Amino acid sequence: MSTTLTQPTVHKLDSGSLWRGRFGRFILPYLLILPTLLFISAFTLWPAVSAVINSTIKPAPTVRQQPAFVGLQNYIDLFNPDKEIGQVFPRVLLNTLVFVGVTVPVSMVLSFFLALALNRKIRGLTFFRFAFFYPVLLPLIGAASIFAFIYADNIGLANILLRGVGLPGIKWIGDATWTPIAIMIVALWKQTGFYMILYLAGLQALPTDVYEAADLDGAAAWTKIRRITLPLLSGTTVFILTAAAANAFQQVDQLYALGEGSPADRSNLLLYFIFQKYSERANQGYVNAITVILLVLLLCFTIFNLRVIEGQAYYEN
Amino acid sequence: MTGVLLVAALFWLIPLIWTVLVSLRPSDESLVQGNIFFGSRITLENFTETFRIVDWVGQYITTLIFVFGVLAVQIVTIVLAGYAFARIKFRGRTILLTLTLVQLMIPSAVLLVPNFATVRGLSLYDTKLALMLPYFGSAFGTFLMRQTFRQVPLELEDAARIDGCGWVGILRNVYLPASGPTLVAFSLVSVAARWNEFLWPLMITQSKSNRVLTVGLSQVLRTNEVGALYGQITAGVLIVSFTLLILFIVLQKQFVNSFLRSGLK
Repeated sequence: MSTTLTQPTVHKLDSGSLWRGRFGRFILPYLLILPTLLFISAFTLWPAVSAVINSTIKPAPTVRQQPAFVGLQNYIDLFNPDKEIGQVFPRVLLNTLVFVGVTVPVSMVLSFFLALALNRKIRGLTFFRFAFFYPVLLPLIGAASIFAFIYADNIGLANILLRGVGLPGIKWIGDATWTPIAIMIVALWKQTGFYMILYLAGLQALPTDVYEAADLDGAAAWTKIRRITLPLLSGTTVFILTAAAANAFQQVDQLYALGEGSPADRSNLLLYFIFQKYSERANQGYVNAITVILLVLLLCFTIFNLRVIEGQAYYEN
Repeated sequence: MTGVLLVAALFWLIPLIWTVLVSLRPSDESLVQGNIFFGSRITLENFTETFRIVDWVGQYITTLIFVFGVLAVQIVTIVLAGYAFARIKFRGRTILLTLTLVQLMIPSAVLLVPNFATVRGLSLYDTKLALMLPYFGSAFGTFLMRQTFRQVPLELEDAARIDGCGWVGILRNVYLPASGPTLVAFSLVSVAARWNEFLWPLMITQSKSNRVLTVGLSQVLRTNEVGALYGQITAGVLIVSFTLLILFIVLQKQFVNSFLRSGLK
């Protein structure tokens, strides 16, 4: 074993013999993936299954009694206005859908135009990149704390500026209409920079010859964007859409600093609602049912996006 | 265009600037006293005051343990699994890969409640290990390594085999050297994500020795419920965030490229 090709020096002191037998070769890949699979099974797959199972159970009212299997009753209760939870849950579900439905498109449009603007040779690129991206690196609860102060009634920057131009101050945290908006602003401020970077990457990978041809034809800027840029970026767009939606369902830390769903759960979001109900030791059947609903929403979104990817194999291959 | 860009950039920066300014002015002075920016004097008392509420040093250490503990295990698991999925043909490879990638669709954040039950069942409530467990397996990292490894020319692996390397040697001599940038990118994304985790650490830890920085910030917030002392809150935010922010300023290019790679499938 002394002849070597012109390859970098190789260390021979390794466990070659143990894995060379038939059994060793067979079992090796399974052992290699075992840790990853173990952790993902334990903390992603199994919890999802257990949430489904536990959502069909009504917990025992007292320690003596047994929990009871109730099938889909918990899900029905969630929407039943005669039950306490049924009065609140639909509201929270609606809030979440609105939150996702607004922040995802807005952040994508914003980030796209920001990326377009930054995709030219301008001075201060480093400055601009920092300006838009740094919120991504803040903890969401930190970002929310900053904005909690900006939103403060009298000493908050937002109302100071409003009063400075003659407008009345807004009760950002506490008003049923403005609180959701306040929360959405924080989410947009925080995440747009991330999607901007992704769009920038996509833009920088675009071929230039198509644009040159368009310029020769005298195409206007907006037409170029609509007819060339956007279609070529469809893969990037779908990816950002998936990431943005997943984020929108998960990022609820800010509620801790911005009202915790006030007033009366009018600004509450599903994941935080789950967290609250769990901390309150509320009916765990309900908590698991809500978790399952959230999971289903996420999966629907992902599957929808996968379908879109399949249909959109445009200029790519 | 550049004008609009500048205005937008300023809007994005104002919260940070405001936070820094407010953290440096005495808490008991309202904004109309003294200089609008600095009050009557610049002071660090907000920062020192928060040390009375939160054991920042301890929580900083806990956060470091959490972040790098997770990262260490992740790197081991994703390299091993990435290699297997990339270069070994075995029965059930496709199914097992799909199972792994389910994690990309179901973020563990959503599974707070079931995971809490699991951890409690293992008698690990309020331990540093419990903090880290849900993150040890990374579908994202596995997928990233698989893609990276597949781009390494097979001839290099063959040559290493001819020289007598088993899989350990192959990984060490061929694949790991080739995946340096990817590992750096993954590490930055992982560190940033763990540093900013909140709900899970809040749920799963209780004793002071197990709290991470974000939980510390929530302590400052709650202490300030009545008569919020925003000087302290903003100081708290800076204490929690300064590490990543400074890292970003120093390594901006690497950070941006890392997050870029996380998007390039």
